[in-house]
Amino acid sequence: MLRLENVLAGYSAVPVLRDVSLSVDAGQFVAVVGPNGAGKTSLFKTISGILQPRQGRITFEGVDLASVPPSGRAHLGIAHVPEGRQVFPSLSVLENLEMGAYTAAGQRDWKHNIERIFTWLPVLAERRAQFAGTLSGGEQQMVAIGRGLASSPKLLMLDEPSMGLAPAIADFIFEKLIEIRRDTGLTILLVEQRVAEALESADHGYVLEAGRVVLEGDNTTLRADDRVRQAYLGM
Amino acid sequence: MTAQMIENILQALAAGLLAGAIYGLMCVGLGLIFGVMRVINFAHGDFMMLGMYAAWFLFGALGIQAVAGSLIGPYIAILLAGPLLFLFGYVVHKALISRVTGTRTAQLDGEGHYAQLILTLGIALVLQNGGMIVFGSELHSIRTPLSSSAWELGPVWGDFISIFVNKSRGIAALFSIATIVVLALMIARSRLGKSLRAAADNPEAATYMGIDVDQAHRIAFALGVGITAIAGGLLATNYPFQPYIGLEYVIVMYAGVVLGGMGSIVGAFWGGMTIGLVQQLSTLILPTQLQNAAIFVVFLLIVFLRPQGFFGRVVERT
Ligand SMILES: Nc1ncnc2c1ncn2[C@@H]1O[C@H](COP(=O)(O)OP(=O)(O)O)[C@@H](O)[C@H]1O
Ligand SMILES: [Mg+2]
Repeated sequence: MLRLENVLAGYSAVPVLRDVSLSVDAGQFVAVVGPNGAGKTSLFKTISGILQPRQGRITFEGVDLASVPPSGRAHLGIAHVPEGRQVFPSLSVLENLEMGAYTAAGQRDWKHNIERIFTWLPVLAERRAQFAGTLSGGEQQMVAIGRGLASSPKLLMLDEPSMGLAPAIADFIFEKLIEIRRDTGLTILLVEQRVAEALESADHGYVLEAGRVVLEGDNTTLRADDRVRQAYLGM
Repeated sequence: MTAQMIENILQALAAGLLAGAIYGLMCVGLGLIFGVMRVINFAHGDFMMLGMYAAWFLFGALGIQAVAGSLIGPYIAILLAGPLLFLFGYVVHKALISRVTGTRTAQLDGEGHYAQLILTLGIALVLQNGGMIVFGSELHSIRTPLSSSAWELGPVWGDFISIFVNKSRGIAALFSIATIVVLALMIARSRLGKSLRAAADNPEAATYMGIDVDQAHRIAFALGVGITAIAGGLLATNYPFQPYIGLEYVIVMYAGVVLGGMGSIVGAFWGGMTIGLVQQLSTLILPTQLQNAAIFVVFLLIVFLRPQGFFGRVVERT
């Protein structure tokens, strides 16, 4: 579904992604882990078109993304739930979800989607009229996830949904993601600091360090790998 | 206090409300552009000037007066000047402003603010001097028979006090408020309005939603220009104008938008209204030449005492 081939990208002169190849197949749950500053967020921004690859190729369902402007990628079916949530603070919760449904698919499925989003995340229904900027961090993360789901995506990309949240709230968000995936079979690309949980739930994982993929493999291979056990799982 | 003094105060208050309604509309146009794009548009007064000429030409030379008559003709011409200047703003944004704003600014010095300053100042100069070449320095106005008649409110308080509201100014104020209501509803309720607010709140996240932020900016810019053109047309039914008139009003507009708390539409309207009231009430104690000085004094006081304006945003942009 999504395929990156030897991608090199960065800010101004300095590359932060070097020779990154990665692929996500339809229905897969893929996790990307790695230390702070490894380039995980930059990887997502490159897929979304905020950063342009200087070498290599990104395709989504066979379409070369070089020919798709950043604002066109949501319309292809890529939903990006960005790091730090980035809700629209002066829009209400409901309006945030409506903006998620800005794509044609999102508009078509609005009634169905909003019902399911409110079932998964009932707090959004309670807070629907509140300005998103006045919500707690956990609630804002739920808005960001709901906003992504409202676009009827083919691929949901989540950048550290647990960042900056109290452990109990982070656990809750993570369980919700598992539940949503179980209910929908949605294809997910997840960046996560909570490596143990991420690798446990994902089908496939990539370890990114200093802008390079240093390791990749399926769930069992990665969790059995000595480097992963030492560096990320504290074993 | 004599009845005469009270009458003067009420009369100045009425004049302030009438002027303020139109200043409010101008400010809303500028505030929309600033709110969505975070661009300081120094040419905004000159776009208003073009709106005045557009309405004037449509009314006279282009035959609306002949078709619709002198009574409603001016308002049809003013209403049409809005979309005309919307198109002009759209083209100016596409050809010029978009080069130094929006998603391209990430690569520019100071996020493009220097380039924006120079570009909009340059556009202002071109419009002012181009206007002088094309239209000449002669004073024009859109004449309506209503400007020589008035509604008498009163007599109130026995037989002593009456307030006179010039009909053409009264209608201009109502027209202005109706325009703002339509715009505010559009921004609050429509999908387009919501996408403009989303693009203003967080351009990057808006892009992730599939919103073309540069296109959103273009529409906000064009709408801002069109709205202010309508304000200009309304003003032109009561005041004569020439190609440099933008300079006089760009100050009013900035003062109003800053008072209103940069980036809120309702705030920009009340900011403009405040400027109108201050300007007219100051004539009670100051000579007319010092009207604009009064605006500046109030402006500075508010910037010192309440820099976020009356209507500062509840939640800050991320
Ligand atoms: N806007 C930016 N401009 C320049 N460098 C940046 C910018 N954002 C991130 N970087 C740099 O890119 C590298 C990767 O950052 P990031 O993608 O945020 O990593 P991660 O998400 O894995 O923590 C870091 O060295 C960071 O300093
Ligand atoms: Mg990151």
